[in-house]
Amino acid sequence: MSDPSRDDERELVELAKRDTRQFGTLYDRHFQQIYRFVYSRVREQTAAEDVTSEVFMKALKAMPRYQDTGRPFAAWLYQIAVNAIADRYRSLKTTQSLDDFHDLSVGGPALEDLAAHRDEVRRIWALVEDLPHQQRTALVLKFQEDMKIEDIAVAMGKSPGAVKLLIHRGVTRLREGADTLRPVE
Amino acid sequence: MNAHHDPDLEDVLQDDEMRRIASLLSAARAPEPPLDEAFRTGLRRQLMNEAWAMTEGRLSLWRRAFAPPGLAWAGAAAGLVLIMSVVIYTSLQGGGGVQQIVVQSPVDGDRSVAVAQPILVKFNQPMDHPSTEAAVQIMPATNVTFGWHENTLSVQPTGGTLAPNTQYHVTIGSGAKTAAGKPISSPQTITFVTTAPPTPAVTPTPRPTPTTALGEKQLTGLAGAQSLVAQWSSDSSSVYYVDGRGALNVILAKGGAVTVIAPDGASSPAVSPTGDRLAYIRNGKVEVLTFASGKTDELSVTPTPTLVDWARDRIVWAAADGVYTQADDGSSHQLAPLPATGGLVAVVSFSPDGSHAAYHQDQNLFLLDLASGKSTQIGQASATFLGWSPSGSSLIYATPDNDVVADLHGVTQSTLPAGDTTWSTQDAILIGGDTDILQTRPDGTNLGRISGGTFHFPTWAPNGSTFAFVRGGSLWVATAPALPPAPTVLDEASVVVDNFMKARLAVSADQANALLDANGKAAYAAGGLSLIIAGDPSFSRYYVLSSEVTGADPDTARFVVRLVLSHGKTDVSDQEEALTLVRDATSKQFVIDQATGGAHRELGKGAEVVSVDIQNDTVKVTFDSDLDPTTVTDGLTIVDSKGKKLDATASYANRIVMLTGLNLKDGDAYRLVVLTTIRDVSGQNVAAEYDLDFFGPTAKRHGNHQDSVTPTPSPSPSPLPSPTS
Repeated sequence: MSDPSRDDERELVELAKRDTRQFGTLYDRHFQQIYRFVYSRVREQTAAEDVTSEVFMKALKAMPRYQDTGRPFAAWLYQIAVNAIADRYRSLKTTQSLDDFHDLSVGGPALEDLAAHRDEVRRIWALVEDLPHQQRTALVLKFQEDMKIEDIAVAMGKSPGAVKLLIHRGVTRLREGADTLRPVE
Repeated sequence: MNAHHDPDLEDVLQDDEMRRIASLLSAARAPEPPLDEAFRTGLRRQLMNEAWAMTEGRLSLWRRAFAPPGLAWAGAAAGLVLIMSVVIYTSLQGGGGVQQIVVQSPVDGDRSVAVAQPILVKFNQPMDHPSTEAAVQIMPATNVTFGWHENTLSVQPTGGTLAPNTQYHVTIGSGAKTAAGKPISSPQTITFVTTAPPTPAVTPTPRPTPTTALGEKQLTGLAGAQSLVAQWSSDSSSVYYVDGRGALNVILAKGGAVTVIAPDGASSPAVSPTGDRLAYIRNGKVEVLTFASGKTDELSVTPTPTLVDWARDRIVWAAADGVYTQADDGSSHQLAPLPATGGLVAVVSFSPDGSHAAYHQDQNLFLLDLASGKSTQIGQASATFLGWSPSGSSLIYATPDNDVVADLHGVTQSTLPAGDTTWSTQDAILIGGDTDILQTRPDGTNLGRISGGTFHFPTWAPNGSTFAFVRGGSLWVATAPALPPAPTVLDEASVVVDNFMKARLAVSADQANALLDANGKAAYAAGGLSLIIAGDPSFSRYYVLSSEVTGADPDTARFVVRLVLSHGKTDVSDQEEALTLVRDATSKQFVIDQATGGAHRELGKGAEVVSVDIQNDTVKVTFDSDLDPTTVTDGLTIVDSKGKKLDATASYANRIVMLTGLNLKDGDAYRLVVLTTIRDVSGQNVAAEYDLDFFGPTAKRHGNHQDSVTPTPSPSPSPLPSPTS
């Protein structure tokens, strides 16, 4: 059975391929997630705006050549975003406090455990920041953007297996650094 | 803690510890990042413009929606002289080889483009008109029509002019084709900035130098008179004068026969302020001619008068020892004594308001205050009295080198070229001489030669346009051209604002500081506003958004100035400063007394207000974009200091919203509010609410030197009186 939302998206993409003036709907649909992703990587509003502009402008210009590979359209946008960030912000060092960034007010542990849990989450994401760029990107797309492996593969221009390997290596390195993060039982 | 369960990662997360870490990673969700909605909508607009440009053979968004097709701009071709500016080369494969398309515009890169002109875009080869026109995009959103002259495209705003103070980006999209059908490979953009709308000139206007343009007319001979002792009738129709034989005569300014009032021994004619009587001295007595009846009364005054005049409706006269007037019982009453010691004293004139007398003693000039009896020396030795200002608050005297305008304490106000002078009711001074006549404002501005020839003893008529003078021993009359309007308070203050902003643009803190008083310096001190704005984006230009007179004692004016910040050639944001200027009591010059900063605004994200003109009953708001008229009525409001919305009628045409029917109170605080419901013609809403605080304007008045008075209407025409014996 086909996914209605995917069918709807395919139709929008086909319209925009034939007539780029229809691109606005796709923009409206995906702006927020791309902007959020870009911002999570560059951590600065003006830079996020620059990169997001570049992503959508490139997408628009490449629209007539877009090939539907069966993956979500967003995966292609993420791919452009990943490349744009890599091109322009390879050497960017994030400076914003993770406290400002990661919203830890998720439900789960009891109140008395919450502080410790928060601290642990904060510190493990701090470790993520020290991971090699590609491992970091894979983890962000997986755990923050909640994307499927195959979509991450499209976004990063890699095979699904390569993405899994990046995630595996990333989590392994986090585990190595996480021994000190384990809460007191 | 729950371990992570994701089928996608079953073969990746091989043990509990890895799944626990995955759970921790999933537990943190990034909050929504800070997002400027204007950025989102602005980017969408950019994308849509680009998308339209990519769509060949179709009209661009704004053109399809609004521009009447095929409207030719008739005058575009005339006098087309293109100045080469930035040249953009685009290569494309032409038939048989590489051909370059050159797109150029005389305004590209220009940051002071006049608003009343079309945007000219020249191509180096014939273009396909429909596709090229369809590929044109303009930001801010602007309705335009097109005209072609050979290979030059003229883009004319349908409103007639470009928006003031605005950076335009005119893009020839990649949909444009040559006449041969080859497309431009990539869009080309022309960028320029328009100037402020025209304002009245503040600097002196070059004056024409006509030879005989004053309509000089010879009236009559003066029978050997060495100077002109004359008075105009209050309706400016006639001249009373004393000729070389001591006869007091009158003649119509338009010419005609001379009527003799007193055949001999006459001097010091003086028309009463109400214009109904003429006093003069004859044979040591004061005679008063009443025009209506033609009757002459002889006043028996003592001591012997040397000069007679009027103080309101009362006769005053000077004698050797003092200044006198006539008491109610007809007796002489001394108003103030003249110095009894020293050299010979000669009163030469009474001030128009009757409060002072000017006299010479030896080679010196003094003013005698008739109320206090005190004398004040005016100027140095050899100063010679020339005349009064219309109100009597200033005078002109001659030195061996110059004429000097001074106040009643003798403080010099300005220095003028030497010559015979007269000060008009319209605040213009004529300076006559052997070879020409000059006209100037009392402060020396607008000085210009208005005619050549001999013009001795010029004497203004009350109408401020006609004057009498002596040439070749005869009495003449002529008409002087009106001076341009005197600079207003706003004119004077805006010069200071301009100098202040130019100094900051030139990174000259010293020059900028010199225009600040102590309060102003404090506003730009550490922790306050930045006097010198450094960094990228950089401070590239400024413009005055609004200006108004907010006080009259001392003169106070308030300006809201926009400082535009640019990255490269592109304006990216602006910030506002509200400057309050006051006239310094000593120097009479404006200084910046208060300054406050406003919010930064990103540009290119919807229609922007670029000019606000505030009157008591009307506020005129000019936008940079053509607006959707249906959004205007509810999109602009004015609220008072309590937040109460004022009743106003909004009307819209050509980027301008007029809010009329207002009754703004002098000095009260108001706020103009531009809501985000305002939309431009491309469908883009105003990015964020815009507020402009302002005050109810004080009535504008002329600047520092104004001394004009309204001529007193004559109660009745001045008939030529019957001769007396």
